[in-house]
Amino acid sequence: MSSSTNNTPVPSTSSKKSLKVFSDDIWKNKTAKINAELFTLTYGSIVSQLCTDYERDFAKVNNQLYSMGYNIGVRLIEDFLARTALPRCDSLARTSEVITICAFKVFLNVTPQVGNWSSNKDSFSLFLEENPLSEFVELPMDAAKELWYSNILCGVLKGALEMVQMDCDVWFVNDVLKGDQTTELRIKLNRVLKDEIPAGED
Amino acid sequence: MAIQTILVINRSGGLVYQRDFLPSAAKLTSNEYLILAGTLQGVVAIASQIAPKSLQISAKQGAKTGSELGDATQTVPYVGSLGSSAASAADLGSFLGPDFFNESFTSWNTKGLKHVTTDQNSLFLYQTLTGLKFVAVSTQNTTNAMAVSIAENLLRKAYCLYADYVMKNPFYEPEMPIRCELFDKKLGELVAQL
Repeated sequence: MSSSTNNTPVPSTSSKKSLKVFSDDIWKNKTAKINAELFTLTYGSIVSQLCTDYERDFAKVNNQLYSMGYNIGVRLIEDFLARTALPRCDSLARTSEVITICAFKVFLNVTPQVGNWSSNKDSFSLFLEENPLSEFVELPMDAAKELWYSNILCGVLKGALEMVQMDCDVWFVNDVLKGDQTTELRIKLNRVLKDEIPAGED
Repeated sequence: MAIQTILVINRSGGLVYQRDFLPSAAKLTSNEYLILAGTLQGVVAIASQIAPKSLQISAKQGAKTGSELGDATQTVPYVGSLGSSAASAADLGSFLGPDFFNESFTSWNTKGLKHVTTDQNSLFLYQTLTGLKFVAVSTQNTTNAMAVSIAENLLRKAYCLYADYVMKNPFYEPEMPIRCELFDKKLGELVAQL
């Protein structure tokens, strides 16, 4: 990963610092908290029920998780914006900071690492060192090949970014549950939906 | 100032929520409110298209410095304990602490319509990054910078309530009229404390 972070666009350190302080404050003082195990286990029961319902057709389970995530994302973005009131991101590098330092912190209390920027800076990866969704999980043999256990996260990111007029593709590349070294989630910006930016903004 | 009406307008310009708080408020039919909301959406779009020549020139010359200056002036200061007393401090939905937020924040509506003053009323408009509009009509006939920032604070709190009690309601369909009793109740409390 050290080699991959080399081509990260260098953001101004001051803004990065202040975003971190800002996000920590919001998470600490402005957000109600619950026991994370309750969250982890609820998600676990959803996935295991889906696997049963779809008769272990894991491609369908992946799709269903993605669309559930999408529906969460288009709503969750309002909560995120009401809570933080952050301005529109001026670059994808800034978006990646806001997602990792602020959004993941506020909702999941983790901070993924950003890396693997593509050469034209339109896609990047999030490395989830800890993933609260898959805390107590071991995938069964038949699921280990196909199932992306935390696929709901991809849907959430897709839905939320779409509501702020960024058309993105989001997918998992690696997952430690499948025996990979890292859990890597890739975000690719297709285009900014300029026509849909609300009137009155710059 | 007393709040007379609060409206919520969705991103496509349809009225999704309307509530009068004063019995004396001039009665419009729901259809007329719908037209009012659509008109506001149009006026915001037109207002964002026309700007003083001096601003257009300065924006062209130094896009970078211009926007930075713009950001500094577009910050809405946080107005104290507006609309949240000790009584409600215990219950702010998914929010914690004595108030929803405690810092100044950036206004997303940088060059659209923000407020209208008439002989009897003032209208304030708060627009979110997703294109949702919150509108408050108050019973004062003058507007100063303080009144505008109070209104923006109030409307951001209404947005916080919307995020909690409308967006997290599984039976609410996006873009459709809001029929959520909890949202009604919380918004009533917020306005009553003003």
